[in-house]
Amino acid sequence: MINIDHLAYTSKLKNTDPRQKMLFALLTMGVCLWADSVVVSILVLLIMGWATVCQGGTRFSLFCKLLMVPMSFLILGVVAVAVDFSGNELIFIYSVALDKMYLGVTQAGLQNALHLFFKALGAVACLYYLSLSTPMIDVLAVFRRLKMPKLLVEMMGLIYRFIFVFLETADNMVTAQNSRLGYSGLSAGYRSLAALMSTLFIRAYKRADELYTALEARGYDGELNVVEETSPPYKWTGFLQTVGLNGLLVIFVLWMKEYGGGVVFW
Amino acid sequence: MVKDDILETQGLSYTYADGTNALRQVNLNIKTGEITAVLGGNGAGKSTLFLNFNGILKPSSGQVFFHGKPLEYSHRSLQELRRKVGIVFQDPDTQLFSASVYQDISFGPVNMKLPEKEVRIRVAEAMERTGISDLKNKATHNLSFGQKKRVAIAGVLAMKPEVLVLDEPTAGLDPMGVSEIMKLLKETQQELGLSVVISTHDIDLVPLYCDYAYVMDKGEIILKGSPKEVFSEKKAIRSVHLRLPRIAHLMEILKDKDDFEFRETAVTISEARKVLKDWKNSRI
Repeated sequence: MINIDHLAYTSKLKNTDPRQKMLFALLTMGVCLWADSVVVSILVLLIMGWATVCQGGTRFSLFCKLLMVPMSFLILGVVAVAVDFSGNELIFIYSVALDKMYLGVTQAGLQNALHLFFKALGAVACLYYLSLSTPMIDVLAVFRRLKMPKLLVEMMGLIYRFIFVFLETADNMVTAQNSRLGYSGLSAGYRSLAALMSTLFIRAYKRADELYTALEARGYDGELNVVEETSPPYKWTGFLQTVGLNGLLVIFVLWMKEYGGGVVFW
Repeated sequence: MVKDDILETQGLSYTYADGTNALRQVNLNIKTGEITAVLGGNGAGKSTLFLNFNGILKPSSGQVFFHGKPLEYSHRSLQELRRKVGIVFQDPDTQLFSASVYQDISFGPVNMKLPEKEVRIRVAEAMERTGISDLKNKATHNLSFGQKKRVAIAGVLAMKPEVLVLDEPTAGLDPMGVSEIMKLLKETQQELGLSVVISTHDIDLVPLYCDYAYVMDKGEIILKGSPKEVFSEKKAIRSVHLRLPRIAHLMEILKDKDDFEFRETAVTISEARKVLKDWKNSRI
């Protein structure tokens, strides 16, 4: 998490208009989900990979590693979709007998699973593109400009800021506990964990109090109003490639549905 | 020239809800355009005193005066007061609420309802003054402690206060960081004609940078005067968990144990140098 944040700050795309990046990521994700096609999902994955690695300068190995992060959830989820349970052996491509029932994979189940797998991967790639190229501050700035509820954006900003403080505090406390053998055995571990959690809660509460005092001292009036850094100039041409690319993808999907015949499966 | 008192307290007492008497009958005067130190061990009441200066806390009894006028605690007067009395808190992580350095510094000026252009000028000025212009595009959580401290100071300076109050500005900094921050404060104070109040238990920097000092213990002021005057009260200083500046201590030992005869006392290196030179010359 901290890593991704750091990468966003060092990305070559950091100074690109965040609106442009957000539209690119979200629109492409939308098309990927709508198309529900393996080919399109792979295309999206490749496009996003290319944009992140070649344009953004994120290391290729790192991007792959990040894609592996949701893999375990994805595979578990996909297996649940692919595997079916029935009394009729004939519907399965492959099955094992369990008493009078059969557990196996059907053609439709496999197809569903495959679609789901690549769709999810494509969507994840879109979000990785965004989070690896756009610091949270810029995302929040876009939200603010889009007139999202102020309270929501403020909360997101505060949470984002204090996650790091929270993690640092927790990390220091675990180190301190460890150096006094706090996690040497199972029971000691549970005891230490309980102490850690309650202390963290109290600390967080105190910090919130201190934060409020400090904000008050600078004239806090119920709203966290700030001025943003001057953002990169708005250029409508920046949106052209996004719209063009997604237009092409949509046309491709429609063409496949019309003329692809058996290929629609993919 | 007689300097006015920009801040003054009379019989200021503060009792927390749990019954702790954090301040008892505190009388002090902060002179305009000076750096005043408030010395005291842990829990002496320094932070509580500071929060009374800008009306975050309301005295249980006694009064606080700003420019000779007693503080009013209406919303509007408080907003006005906090614009003029800026507090920099000890832990920058409690003060910096935004992940963006620039946005955090702009918070105060925006709350003053200044036009955007003016806000931007002030943010740039404050960053320039505190030497953090190159951190503009960095995230708060990627800064070092010393850098965060500077951002916190910039956030208050951008409001152009008349009094800058700093709670333990040097705590947690390395020796280089300490002298950099103190030089920054001294420069700012001289160039902008600010009044500065700092709390500290870093004894050695008091005679170097401060014009006046108060010593607090258990919520009371027990000593006041110029750093030299304060540190000549050796017994009292030591009774409240503080110590003399190292140089003053050395001079004391030389005088009492080794029978040196000094005409003056010295609390800083340059003073000691002068006194020792005089001593050498007097022997020739």
